[in-house]
Amino acid sequence: MELVIALGMNGIVWGLIIALIALGLSIIFGLLDIINIAHGDFFMVGTVMAWFVFETTGNYWLAFAIVPVLGFALGALIEYTVIQPIKNAAALSIVATFGLSIILQEGVRATYGAAPTRLTAPIEGTLPLFGLEYEIYRLFAALVSIAAIGCFFLFLHRTKLGTWMRAVRFDPETATAMGIPARRVYLVTFAIGFAMAALGGVVAGPITTVDFQAGVDVLPFCFMAVIIGGLGNMGGTVAAAVMLAFFEGVMASFTDPTMARIGSLCLMSLVLMVRPHGIFSGATR
Amino acid sequence: MTAAAINRLGLAVFALFTLAAPWLLPLVVDGFWVDIYSEMLIWSLLAASVNLLFGYVGLLSFGQALFFGMGMYGVAIGVAKLGLGFWPAFGLGVVLATAMAAVAGALAVRLTWHYFAIITVVFSLIFYFTALSWKPLTGGDDGLSFSMPPMLALGDDWELSLTDSTVQYYFIILVVGACYALMGVILKSPLGWAFRTVRENATRASLIGLNVYLIRLTAFIAAGFIAGVAGALFAFFGRYASASYMFYHVSGEAVVWAIIGGAGTLLGPVVGTSLLIVLREELSHAWEHYLILVGVIVILVVIFAPRGLGGVWHALVRRVARAADEDAGGGDGEGRS
Amino acid sequence: MSGPILEIADVEKHFGGLAALGGVNATVESGRLTAIIGPNGAGKTTLFNVVTGILAPSAGTIRFLGRDITRSSVHEISRLGLARTLQIKSVFHGLTVRENLWIAAQSREGVFKPFANAKTCRRANEQADALLEELALTRLASQQAANLSYGDVALLEIGIALATEPKLLLLDEPICGMGPAETERTVEKIRELSKRIDIVIIEHDIEVVFDISDDIIVMALGRVLARGTPAEISENAEVRSAYLGDDDA
Repeated sequence: MELVIALGMNGIVWGLIIALIALGLSIIFGLLDIINIAHGDFFMVGTVMAWFVFETTGNYWLAFAIVPVLGFALGALIEYTVIQPIKNAAALSIVATFGLSIILQEGVRATYGAAPTRLTAPIEGTLPLFGLEYEIYRLFAALVSIAAIGCFFLFLHRTKLGTWMRAVRFDPETATAMGIPARRVYLVTFAIGFAMAALGGVVAGPITTVDFQAGVDVLPFCFMAVIIGGLGNMGGTVAAAVMLAFFEGVMASFTDPTMARIGSLCLMSLVLMVRPHGIFSGATR
Repeated sequence: MTAAAINRLGLAVFALFTLAAPWLLPLVVDGFWVDIYSEMLIWSLLAASVNLLFGYVGLLSFGQALFFGMGMYGVAIGVAKLGLGFWPAFGLGVVLATAMAAVAGALAVRLTWHYFAIITVVFSLIFYFTALSWKPLTGGDDGLSFSMPPMLALGDDWELSLTDSTVQYYFIILVVGACYALMGVILKSPLGWAFRTVRENATRASLIGLNVYLIRLTAFIAAGFIAGVAGALFAFFGRYASASYMFYHVSGEAVVWAIIGGAGTLLGPVVGTSLLIVLREELSHAWEHYLILVGVIVILVVIFAPRGLGGVWHALVRRVARAADEDAGGGDGEGRS
Repeated sequence: MSGPILEIADVEKHFGGLAALGGVNATVESGRLTAIIGPNGAGKTTLFNVVTGILAPSAGTIRFLGRDITRSSVHEISRLGLARTLQIKSVFHGLTVRENLWIAAQSREGVFKPFANAKTCRRANEQADALLEELALTRLASQQAANLSYGDVALLEIGIALATEPKLLLLDEPICGMGPAETERTVEKIRELSKRIDIVIIEHDIEVVFDISDDIIVMALGRVLARGTPAEISENAEVRSAYLGDDDA
């Protein structure tokens, strides 16, 4: 039973981190119609940058501040050089971001190296919770993710830029006609998407390993959260990510992790078949 | 000269080159390029299966590696575990892949676009992880190797086997060629045109009385068959099957090859696959991290040749044809058809 | 030939809590050109969508040629001989004009012929060529549909519908957005077609409607407000106040 609780809790924590990353994917997907194959690598680059900050300064906390900013800058650069020239072509975006994914992975392998490393958590120790000793850092990771997600929603609904983003998403032509600088909004959106994935990397760094292939596992998970939560339904994305990861965590306590993964994939295909527009959509559209 | 004639000429040159490659290639480059060339043709079939779905029916599948893997494991398990001969194992691989495509397709083609892409990934991941964990049957990550059974044995001392590299090469180009011929025939048939109508406008297609679901399913099964043949060939080629070839990254690469080559052109996938495999072979010696360059090239092609290299070729041919024959008028050849 | 070709009985369509069709009863008589008019949001296009199977009705029955087609799928209904154009012109953009017509004609012969060569499908070839001729599109035959002018796309869409050899043709605002010359050409075409095919037309241009139709169905708020000959409709006080009032330019 303790194992079930522990893995279930791990699942929720991991799900919250995934939710953070997936929200970045979701805004890029929803606003720019870009299927971002490189999004998992954005996360991976986040973990590597966190490692780098830690290696150079010896302070992991700095990574929480620096890495999202670096991610934002990188995202803006990528949007400007790669995404803008292929705007409005979803199929091409897949290929271009696949190329990007190769560059990022190989770039990291060339600089950081191929050997995975573990980062030590900046907070050590455990806390008694539900009858078990739970790592404090994981709880902290969950809190940071929730806070970041909360800030993102506030940003989306309370700031001018956030309103612009929603307007451009809803109707780009009208938005442009109303004087909203759509191109700049696209750039910022993509940059924020990268920043969120990078922050996810910082948060997850001490929980997973820093590895140039880390994004490959994360990517399908994020896409499924976005799709199952319902395209464009941000709250649905968060809920779906947490539920999927929790389900997989609990499953993993009964069987091995691979079987748990198969189980959650089967669940996902079931959801897609029954509710193709996401579990939180109405019966009709 | 019309555009169609130039295309025919190009095709003839390509076919002749392919036939003569075992002699021609060693004259100019190292002999192992013959092997690489046949590997290229096999992988191009996987890209062709993506192209059949995406370029002609408008369905972007990110799960073709599943059928490739089925073809591969059908052969490997057939030979190594069931003790089948060459042809039954080949048949098993292709049938497994096609049957899997029928089942997966029946579910998947009810969805379109993003949803379709996602469910194909999900399906392929399910079987990837299954293959990974079912070690006794599949060998998991280590894979499953086998020794090559003969294709044909007469008496005790004469047999035809892929262990002979010439036999292997011609067997591969024969099968690959047959697959392209089959696709060529289908794409010129009413069914092929029905594919294109579904790609262009599914609502209109159903309004003229076409059963869009059945057409998509047919294309999906055909694509699964093609990918299965590719997988079976690759198993024979490497005497080996491994779960890693079923991962979604392999499917993704096939999508990239197809689009770089030019989606919606029959031989585009060959061009795209060749380009990227040649790049790999040439650059990997020069620089350990050559993949960075591959990524850059992929992005450049997408930005500057959004219709792929096939599109560039057709535009070029059209220009040449117009220059060579000013007063022929029209003659717009095959284009994106 | 006379008698109803299309019977619509108590058809309802709800979107969530909204009733787009609130119990429509209408028949289309064979041998007559029927027009459906009504203000925006009256449910005209929704009715077409329900009849052609694009939307499933929430209640009611639809009979075409005496057969119940309420639950039939879009392609089945098309195969029974019901063709339709869409308000937003819908053709196969990436195909040439001839290919557009050819595949529509071939749909009647069956398309599940993977080993036949399209060039040798004689009937569809003949029919495509005949339609090119009839619609005066021959000079555009090898043009991509995406490159056509608006009026030619509209004409091509009608051609695609005709290639399926329909018994009943539903036209959704066929002249909307056309200039005077194109309008005249299209109206002439419709008038000519109505001699051999039953046609139902949704149209906002009242002049055209009164000019070409034999029967008029007036819809408002998801219901049939009135039906009758043009003369009867123009006399109908309820219709005049609801729809043909002075505010209608």
